[in-house]
Amino acid sequence: MTSAEQTTIAVRSVGLGKRFGRQWALAHCDLQVDAGQAVLLAGANGSGKTTLLRLIAGLYKPTQGQLTIFGNDPNRERMTCRQTLTLVGHDHYLYSQLTALETVQVWARLSGCEHSDDQLLDLLEEVDLRHWRNKRVGGFSAGMKKRLTLLRTRLEEPRLILLDEPFSALDTDGQKLIEDWVQRFKSAGKTLVVASHNLPRAARLCERAVFLKEGQIIWQGKATDMIQQLRLTS
Amino acid sequence: MKILRQTWAVVRKDLLLEWRGRSRILSVLLFGVVTLLLFSFAVGPDSVMLRTAAGGFLVLALLLSSTLSLSESFRVEQELRAIEGLLLLPVDPVALYYGKCLSNTFFLMLLAPVLTPVTLILYSVELDFAGFLTLFGLWTLAAAGLSAPGTLYAAMTSRLQSQDVLLPLLLFPLVIPVLMGSVKSVTLLLTGDPMSQIQSWTLLLASFAIIYWSLCGLLFPHAIEEGS
Amino acid sequence: MSQRMTKIHLFGLVGLLLLLVGSYLGLFVAPPDRYMGDVQRIMYVHLPSAWNGMLCYLFAFGFAIASIWQHKPKWDALTVGAIEVGAVLNALLLIQGSIWARPTWGVWWDWDVRLTTSLIMFLLFAGVLALRSFVEDPNQRATWTAIATIVAFIDVPLVYFCVRWWRSLHQVQSTPDTVSSAMVMPLRLNSIAIFLLVIWMVAQRARLEMIRHQKEQVDEPARMATVGGLENV
Repeated sequence: MTSAEQTTIAVRSVGLGKRFGRQWALAHCDLQVDAGQAVLLAGANGSGKTTLLRLIAGLYKPTQGQLTIFGNDPNRERMTCRQTLTLVGHDHYLYSQLTALETVQVWARLSGCEHSDDQLLDLLEEVDLRHWRNKRVGGFSAGMKKRLTLLRTRLEEPRLILLDEPFSALDTDGQKLIEDWVQRFKSAGKTLVVASHNLPRAARLCERAVFLKEGQIIWQGKATDMIQQLRLTS
Repeated sequence: MKILRQTWAVVRKDLLLEWRGRSRILSVLLFGVVTLLLFSFAVGPDSVMLRTAAGGFLVLALLLSSTLSLSESFRVEQELRAIEGLLLLPVDPVALYYGKCLSNTFFLMLLAPVLTPVTLILYSVELDFAGFLTLFGLWTLAAAGLSAPGTLYAAMTSRLQSQDVLLPLLLFPLVIPVLMGSVKSVTLLLTGDPMSQIQSWTLLLASFAIIYWSLCGLLFPHAIEEGS
Repeated sequence: MSQRMTKIHLFGLVGLLLLLVGSYLGLFVAPPDRYMGDVQRIMYVHLPSAWNGMLCYLFAFGFAIASIWQHKPKWDALTVGAIEVGAVLNALLLIQGSIWARPTWGVWWDWDVRLTTSLIMFLLFAGVLALRSFVEDPNQRATWTAIATIVAFIDVPLVYFCVRWWRSLHQVQSTPDTVSSAMVMPLRLNSIAIFLLVIWMVAQRARLEMIRHQKEQVDEPARMATVGGLENV
């Protein structure tokens, strides 16, 4: 891969597959996501969306096929790849005994950010959690935990953002907040891969869409076409 | 250096978490006191025997308490999958390992100042301040030796069922050199060391700690990542 | 049966024959020990068990390093084969040691340096096998087995020195290791015999593990056809 391609192709997989025990969670996955694009992963539960996202994040080792993130292999160059991406998924990666502010302080320190406490408080404000800054995370609702985890995308400054069911467990206001954040990522030129069941909302954010069934991609095309063909209304 | 900074950040996080869950430390300390009591009942009220065995019992109580402390250090990481979040930040697994090792060593060190006076009282053993400091130093070395493989195995077994059985099963035979080294040196300290053997045993403790801090640091990334 | 497997069975056959010859010589031809009499004859299996057991663990260590380096199932299969055969020899060693100790010293166990180290080694590697039985994912099982094997093996010299110092303050009674020339032949034969049997057993066990691994493999499903439209999905 040339260095020019390294910067223009965010995710490329060829024949990517992952098996757990006797079950193939993902197979024959050929996907290319260009830098700056936003792609929606759609499909029923168990169709392989989460597996694909976790493979991209380097949390799983592929059973089959090749995968590159901005030209790097996420299993061989783990740290390099992980520095360029953020995954906001089903797991919140929180410590129930820490407060919201302490949590972002820990994340900031560990990712090498120089944010001051005031800057961190401003970040909490952006996800509407400033009021809860000194409350232990263990007492948060699922939606609050999700909003807090979303802050990782601002601390890590990634080029690629992976979102797994970003709208679940959130009320309408919360979902609107996520949408606004995602629009800001896009304006900043970041690449997005979003797995979601909330197709109308997610499709508004993404140009392309990919449909998975039983671990394989069976359709790729424009997000608006997907909405039309599935006869969904916003 | 980035790794040092991350290591220190991991230590700080663990210290804060442990402070929040400090009722747990108190329970582990109480557990240590209970074991000391049980050992003395096993021997009986023969004060001569108790005095001779005091060093051994103290070290055993510390060892048994250590598995509780070690397994907790990773239970808190698995609860909401926080450890995966750390790896994704990304935190270098080596920094994660040494950070956890340092904080585990510290927590094990906390046991000695409490259990030592209890031992001295229950088993009628005399020890001056210099002796107390020496004992604390020995225990620090032993704690370091226990933490190195303990952190590695706690990380692995925390993801399995029967963690409570597997961790001691793997750890106890492995740390026999630490156990023996600590028991011998503490016993010599408490009962007298006419042939100046404490140095040799201290050397053994230090060697074990150095070897395992290096080896386990190399192996930890493979244990914690899939397909590493 | 493949060519390679037939050759492996030769190891087992020759090993068994040599063991029969060596044991016959040791039991009936070699002279009894001057001090211990016929009890000493257990050395003809005890020492070869000890050496070969240690060798097995050394092989396991090497295979474990290869397993972490290369992540190939064959290295994991060889690691577990070497550990299991080593553990069996280790257990036999402990039993033989007790059988020898009883008529010699009147006790079943006396904290002899080498026996004590062997007991700890047995527990170390039995722990590795226990860990293995709890891990379902084959890749993780292979990696963790390798890690635990390496950690356990590095401990062995530390344990040995430790126990030796610990014992040196007490009366030294150890299993005899000086051998007169008349006894060398059966000892050598049995050592080689058990070594050949070890190779045979480790190969068999590794083969079993590879069969198990292959049974766990499932081929990738057929590629599904892409659809033109999602109306009927």
